[in-house]
Amino acid sequence: MKTLFTLALATLIPAMSFAAGGGAAPVEQDWSFKGITPDWDKEQLLRGYTVATQVCMSCHSFKYISHRNLMKAKFTEADVKALAADMDLGINDKLISQLTAEDAEAVYGKSIPDLSLMNKARGNGADYVFALLTGYEDGVPAKYAHDFESGLPDGGYFNHAFPGHVIAMPQPLNDDQVEYRDGTSATVEQMAKDVTYFMQWTAEPELLARKKLGVYIMLYLLIFTALAYALKRQIWKDVH
Amino acid sequence: MSKSNTQKAIEWFDYRLPIFSFMKHSAVEYPTPKNLSYMWNFGSLAGIALVLQILTGIFLAMHYKPDVNLAFDSIQHIMRDVNSGWLIRNMHMVGASFFFIVVYIHMARGMYYGSYKGPREVLWWMGVIIFFLMMATAFMGYVLPWGQMSFWGATVITNLLSVIPFVGEHVVIWLWGGYSVGDATLNRFFSLHYLLPFVIFAVVFLHLWALHTHKSNNPVGIDLKKDTDFIPFHPYYTIKDIFGLGVYLIPFTFMVCYAPEYLGHPDNYIPADPMVTPAHIVPEWYFLPFYAILRAVPDKLLGVIAMVAAIAILFILPWLDTSKVRSARFRPLFRPLLILFFANMFVLGWVGAKPPEGIYIVIGRLATFYHFAFFLILPLVGMFEKPKPVPKSL
Repeated sequence: MKTLFTLALATLIPAMSFAAGGGAAPVEQDWSFKGITPDWDKEQLLRGYTVATQVCMSCHSFKYISHRNLMKAKFTEADVKALAADMDLGINDKLISQLTAEDAEAVYGKSIPDLSLMNKARGNGADYVFALLTGYEDGVPAKYAHDFESGLPDGGYFNHAFPGHVIAMPQPLNDDQVEYRDGTSATVEQMAKDVTYFMQWTAEPELLARKKLGVYIMLYLLIFTALAYALKRQIWKDVH
Repeated sequence: MSKSNTQKAIEWFDYRLPIFSFMKHSAVEYPTPKNLSYMWNFGSLAGIALVLQILTGIFLAMHYKPDVNLAFDSIQHIMRDVNSGWLIRNMHMVGASFFFIVVYIHMARGMYYGSYKGPREVLWWMGVIIFFLMMATAFMGYVLPWGQMSFWGATVITNLLSVIPFVGEHVVIWLWGGYSVGDATLNRFFSLHYLLPFVIFAVVFLHLWALHTHKSNNPVGIDLKKDTDFIPFHPYYTIKDIFGLGVYLIPFTFMVCYAPEYLGHPDNYIPADPMVTPAHIVPEWYFLPFYAILRAVPDKLLGVIAMVAAIAILFILPWLDTSKVRSARFRPLFRPLLILFFANMFVLGWVGAKPPEGIYIVIGRLATFYHFAFFLILPLVGMFEKPKPVPKSL
């Protein structure tokens, strides 16, 4: 029975994970939020916010996010008030794009997804979003030519990461598209990394609290369980 | 020695409603076999998992809104705005998976040590009923966040009922409360998702009543006659169960705090959209073996029957198994066949997660065949098997 149980556990773990399905598996990036006790990098969040509000929000909304939420990620009230004022928003206003659903439908032929939860709504999360943002090509690469004998469909763009490789969103990022407040050079890769980082925060604003609490509960449980085991041994010592 | 006022009050109450003697009889003095292994921890763990689901669920229900236009947002409200809402929701979400893990191990233990055999057949039935109720509850719970997998999973599974001859279509419309999965469906699923756990709780009570009537089975599988074969539940099994709970909560906490989405599907963070079908519609992992059986049968009606029968056959297991010996330890033929049966469940689960094409269809059919063959050859196994010598006492 014991060997069986071990066998069961060993097979259970891989059996339960689902394949993401679709485009090429994205390259795993070294995100700072991955560890057991991460911390938000305020500078990077601000850079990501800059890209999100100045580029993404031309079309996409972050409907679950207001400036006030940033106060839970190291921003002071003065910080968020200044940022919100720059966008003519109050700190409780949600980050809603000016593009209406009807206009989006007319221009792109489909609805435009909200980005708040995007990093949770795709397999491989942040790695996928980064791969997508940096995965554009002008035209179809030779390797895929046989899949697109009559070229890309109208309103479609080639992307390495997107399932099926044809995406309706034109390449959103170009070098020096934004001016970073901290003077960092705004390359496509830098912006993609920063905005993906920001989107991880919008998707999981509770991430730090969750991981921090986990450490305490785990330590507590390890001690509790060890003591329970010692007591169990003690109580059972005369049972044969 | 004179009695304290507390003791007097307890005695006064107990004379009128003997709840204190009942507790003492069933949870303190309750005689328990002294040779139970750690496999016997999973019953109490299942009970704790149920209580945790009910408690976290009650708090989630205070903030959740069962409305197709509000449900998805209300989950985000819980995750972002409600104090510790993310913790309660992650516990509920991970808790569902862990509840199934615990119950699957509990059932496997029952099968391995022949706990379903007389005089515990009704105890076993109550368990099978609990399992069916759990599956219904979990299925409806997964619909509530109203993501893409919620909607499409609900659509696929409720559509299965349309295969019922003559009235199938009507039954499905009646169940939906409309002509597709929609607002009425979400509302009634929420109502039932809240109700069924309490029904489970009641059946658990019957399960325990039957258990306490004939006491626990044990790894040797023999009827224990001597008083010295038993020890009181408290403190021996209370401390053992508390230790087991600690062992259980460590991986549980790990999942809640570091990998809450690992067992879920990313598509469920896309709001439900009846106009867009996901590339692969997959049920939650704990349904995958039965999903594989459903798809292994080419005929839709027979597939549904096979899926239900794959579990319902457990009801007649006590009579399919004709051996007088309970524990697989002493059954040289039954034991390998049962281990293969367990391994086969994992194969079915793996196939259930794959698209129904090519080699997966073949493997799925072979595994489905073995699932039923195992039960159907049991009467013969009991007749031809030569059990090893079974000890007369511990």
